[in-house]
Amino acid sequence: MDALMTQLEALLADNSIFTLQTLSYYTEGLTVTVQLVFLSLLIGLVLAVPLAIGRSSKRGWIKWPIFAYTYVFRGTPLLIQLYLIYYGVVFVDGIQETWLWVILEDPFMPALIAFTLNTAAYTTEIFRGAIKSTPKGEIEAARAYGMSTNLMLRRVVLPSAFRRALPAYGNEVIFMLHASAIASVVTIMDLTGAARFVYARFYAPFEAFLFVAAIYLCLTFAILYFFRYLEKKLLAHLQPMS
Amino acid sequence: MAATPIPLEVRNITKRFGDTEVLKGLSLQAHKGDVITLIGASGSGKSTFLRCMNLLEQPNEGDLIVHGEEIRFKTTKHGREPADWRQVVNMRAKLSMVFQSFNLWAHMTLLENIIEAPIHVLKKPKAEAVEHAHALLERVGLSHRANAYPAQMSGGQQQRGAIARALAMDPEVMLFDEPTSALDPELVGDVLKVMRDLADEGRTMVVVTHEMSFARDVSSQVIYLHEGRVEEAGRPTEVLENPQSPRLKQFLAPNY
Repeated sequence: MDALMTQLEALLADNSIFTLQTLSYYTEGLTVTVQLVFLSLLIGLVLAVPLAIGRSSKRGWIKWPIFAYTYVFRGTPLLIQLYLIYYGVVFVDGIQETWLWVILEDPFMPALIAFTLNTAAYTTEIFRGAIKSTPKGEIEAARAYGMSTNLMLRRVVLPSAFRRALPAYGNEVIFMLHASAIASVVTIMDLTGAARFVYARFYAPFEAFLFVAAIYLCLTFAILYFFRYLEKKLLAHLQPMS
Repeated sequence: MAATPIPLEVRNITKRFGDTEVLKGLSLQAHKGDVITLIGASGSGKSTFLRCMNLLEQPNEGDLIVHGEEIRFKTTKHGREPADWRQVVNMRAKLSMVFQSFNLWAHMTLLENIIEAPIHVLKKPKAEAVEHAHALLERVGLSHRANAYPAQMSGGQQQRGAIARALAMDPEVMLFDEPTSALDPELVGDVLKVMRDLADEGRTMVVVTHEMSFARDVSSQVIYLHEGRVEEAGRPTEVLENPQSPRLKQFLAPNY
């Protein structure tokens, strides 16, 4: 490991931009980006499952508030949502005296909240579409075999819907990764934040942003590969037997 | 000795869709080992009648008694519905249904389809359910397709698989809703053969079908429905070979 580091150091010695120092900005940025995206996707997913079930409900008082939520969050730019949560809450009277402020003071939290609410809205709609397209016959079969509504949801509707939603959800994950770049506008040092810093410091836009673009590209391919693997495994029932 | 309860009895079922009355007071008694076939032109209400038996359709009036237990109904502002859905769930587990379009669960293999309801509805231990499933697959000639998904099987295989799924519930009565109507002609034979075997071993079955040879050879009772009423009913020899009503004569004519 040490030998590798010295080699790397030697390689970077005649390079004024990509020093160990700036590379560590990028690594830290990578960590922040991955944390932010992963956490918001995870919480968004957990929120989206019950919301999608509620959105598919026949009862108006469950269905319509969820529709209003997803409509607003899908209908407005993520950047505006981030501004509203980051800058907006400061002006809520007295909030700076409450425990909430401890959470909201750090820009990471407002960004996480904005991203989570945004991805939860999109994911809810993706899942709702998948739930709605459950073949009617499969639902009838579940009922005819004595399944209660809960059991049917758990064993037939959701497993089948998640599989159908997988390709669309994979796109949502990649979309969130790319959208997370805007976290840098509220002073978060994510990947893009690191690139902006390096650019400002060396006035080297191509080096700074091409490098960060390459990192995003690698992350995107990793996600694509992961979802292709999941699809191969979970959507086997749609493929013809080899 | 106490008489064993009748597996399935329905009395005076009526069903309306909007203003159209599609079932006008239908009754039926399936004793143990009976094979009752419902025949009739499309729109005569035979499928709806069958679907009322396990409450996939809610009848507007009438009684439903499964294995001696009467299903309780209540009237709400949406109309009549079962008073206790748990009772319905238990009742349905006793009547398994085979559908026209198979309705296997697409994301499960054939074996998983068969063990699903026994494990999660009947709470059978998994090992036992799997063992039973393999025996049933052998019976319907699908041992080699246990790990195939429905989309990878032919229609005939799917329907035989669906029959195995129905058998896995050890049902009191099996309900067949036009089980061969969606199949290519050359696949119909295999499915009918499985159904004949079931009838021979004394399964209680209610079958909606267009297969007159099956109705004639296998059933103990044939019911001919016309516009939601029983037009003629009786032993197949009486009803099919010596039809009384002009409508039934006409209905049967193309088959002879």
